[in-house]
Amino acid sequence: MQSKMKESDPILEVENLSASTDNLPILKGVSLTVYPGEIHAIMGRNGCGKSTLSKIIAGHPSYNITNGDIKFLGENINSLEPEERSQSGIFLGFQYPIEIPGVSNLEFLRVSTNARRKFLKKEELDTFDFEELVKEKLEIVKMDPAFLSRSVNQGFSGGEKKRNEILQMALLEPKIAILDETDSGLDIDALRIVASGIKKISNAQTAIILITHYQRLLDEIKPNYVHVMSDGQIIKTGESDLALELEEKGYEWTDNFVKET
Amino acid sequence: MEIIEKIKTNKSDDNLTEIQKICLHKLQSSPLPNPKSELWRLSNKSKLSTFLDFSVNEKDSKFDMPYPKNSQSTIRLIIGENYQIKLIEKNYSIQQLSEDELQKYIKEQISFFKQNENWSDLLNLSLSCKNNILGLKINGSKIPPIEIFSNASSNSLNAKTLVIFLEKNCDVELLQVNLGKENSSLSQSTFFCLKENSSVNHGVVSYGENRSNLLNSLNVIQQKNSSYNLGSLHFKFNYARFEISINQSAGNAKTHIKGMQITKKDEQISTYTKIEFNGPNGFLDQINKSLADDKSHAVFEGSILVPKVAQRTDASQLSRNLLLSNLAQIDTKPQLEIIADDVKCKHGATISQLNEEELFYMRTRGITLTEASKLQLSSYFQEIISFIPISKDKWDLLDKLLNEN
Repeated sequence: MQSKMKESDPILEVENLSASTDNLPILKGVSLTVYPGEIHAIMGRNGCGKSTLSKIIAGHPSYNITNGDIKFLGENINSLEPEERSQSGIFLGFQYPIEIPGVSNLEFLRVSTNARRKFLKKEELDTFDFEELVKEKLEIVKMDPAFLSRSVNQGFSGGEKKRNEILQMALLEPKIAILDETDSGLDIDALRIVASGIKKISNAQTAIILITHYQRLLDEIKPNYVHVMSDGQIIKTGESDLALELEEKGYEWTDNFVKET
Repeated sequence: MEIIEKIKTNKSDDNLTEIQKICLHKLQSSPLPNPKSELWRLSNKSKLSTFLDFSVNEKDSKFDMPYPKNSQSTIRLIIGENYQIKLIEKNYSIQQLSEDELQKYIKEQISFFKQNENWSDLLNLSLSCKNNILGLKINGSKIPPIEIFSNASSNSLNAKTLVIFLEKNCDVELLQVNLGKENSSLSQSTFFCLKENSSVNHGVVSYGENRSNLLNSLNVIQQKNSSYNLGSLHFKFNYARFEISINQSAGNAKTHIKGMQITKKDEQISTYTKIEFNGPNGFLDQINKSLADDKSHAVFEGSILVPKVAQRTDASQLSRNLLLSNLAQIDTKPQLEIIADDVKCKHGATISQLNEEELFYMRTRGITLTEASKLQLSSYFQEIISFIPISKDKWDLLDKLLNEN
């Protein structure tokens, strides 16, 4: 699949990536290539390294890359700070979005949007212009403007936090968005709104990596590729029907692949 | 003994006021606090000694206001400036206490003083000359905000004393600003008496320059149905102690305290609070925050005393601390002493560092580590700063703090 001829250069290339935290190996040689317009899904048991992979791509300082490379738009980003990766167009949607008491959500969104705009050499927005922009983006996730005046994610329900993540994605307009279990904690209606938001934001020049346990998100956003992770490795890659097979047979089915690996 | 000699060599016995004589007499037997006592064991001895090193100065050099006066209606007073205060308006009056009233009140306070517990006040009243004691009687309503400044000049030890009587049914906002010039020591003692049904929003902001020191003592007596709100901030002192003593003399009173101290380099700033409930239905909500960086040391010790007479007291004391460096030190000890059996009291303390996951979250949104740390600190400071009256709108304390931290 990954060797298929592509018309453009990849957005993200993860090459034989191994990483550890506190000398404990977590990733053991992950390779993944993502081209513009593609949607990839990564599935796997709890603790198999899915979230760690997303955090390492985003630059979490607690993990050490022990081998391999992460390339974004052709450039090695192994040593870039998390903010530099974000500004250049990598977005990580958190499984558990962090609450930041005392920091206004509106101001937080404005500062981060301007950091990205500055990188793109676009004019930074003052409070008034930003409010116009954010109102427009709120529509995408059908979010109540009242959440803008609260502290970041504080007092938000699980669903509201996830909408706030997608709102940030809409404002930052990333080249690649890695969405870590964005579907967890969402009821059916909220899942549809969030999925519809993700689809509206993405386009042929951008890419998405969905980390999920469930088929229900993939029913809304159909992936081009599905990867199954186990013990820090991608043990199988297939097309969207692989997720359906996984849903039907469970992760025990993948244990045979581990043995083969 | 040196400090006693220093005061005495400065002027003859004839020039000392009666209060000075009483306090000097009390200090004579043990001129320094007992370093082994609970209230002084964590105090840096060499820094306290530095505090006392400067020669006593009773006259100030020209005082520079730290920020402009925004509203014409605000009343500004500087302790040590020799002027008569008599403001009598339709709704309120602010008048200077007479010599007799001042003497009587201070003498009464001194009679309760204990050598270790009130050493800072004894020192202050030994040093404060008549000109440096400001006594005010505030009465009425719709009183304009009041700002009171105290300062210490470079290379000297200045002592300033403030006595305020808040009359019945009176309601006021008062900001006290204590400033230490480079290489200086300021001894500031404040005595606040809140009569029945009175209410005050009291702010205390103290900050120094390079190598300045501060002993700041605040004594509050609350009569019944009074409400006392204190927002305080101490930063940038080589050595500073803020001692708060609040006595709800007949219960049925409310006290809210939100205080913060910030230490950097090798500074030491301590806050000691003693809240005493001497009647039923008292209320206290207190939070003290410390932020320690570099090799500095922050101390908080708080005690709440609830004797048998103080039934149905509702008191809460929380100490929250942020340690920004591996070499910095924070000591915190909130304590309760409860005899009454029908009370609701709680206390707690936390010490943490900047939240790594919050920082990472902000950084994944393109915000630099420095900016993310500032945002986090600003939210930490905001709770306290927003509680300080008057200053919050026109004196951008937050900016000052963030730019210096």
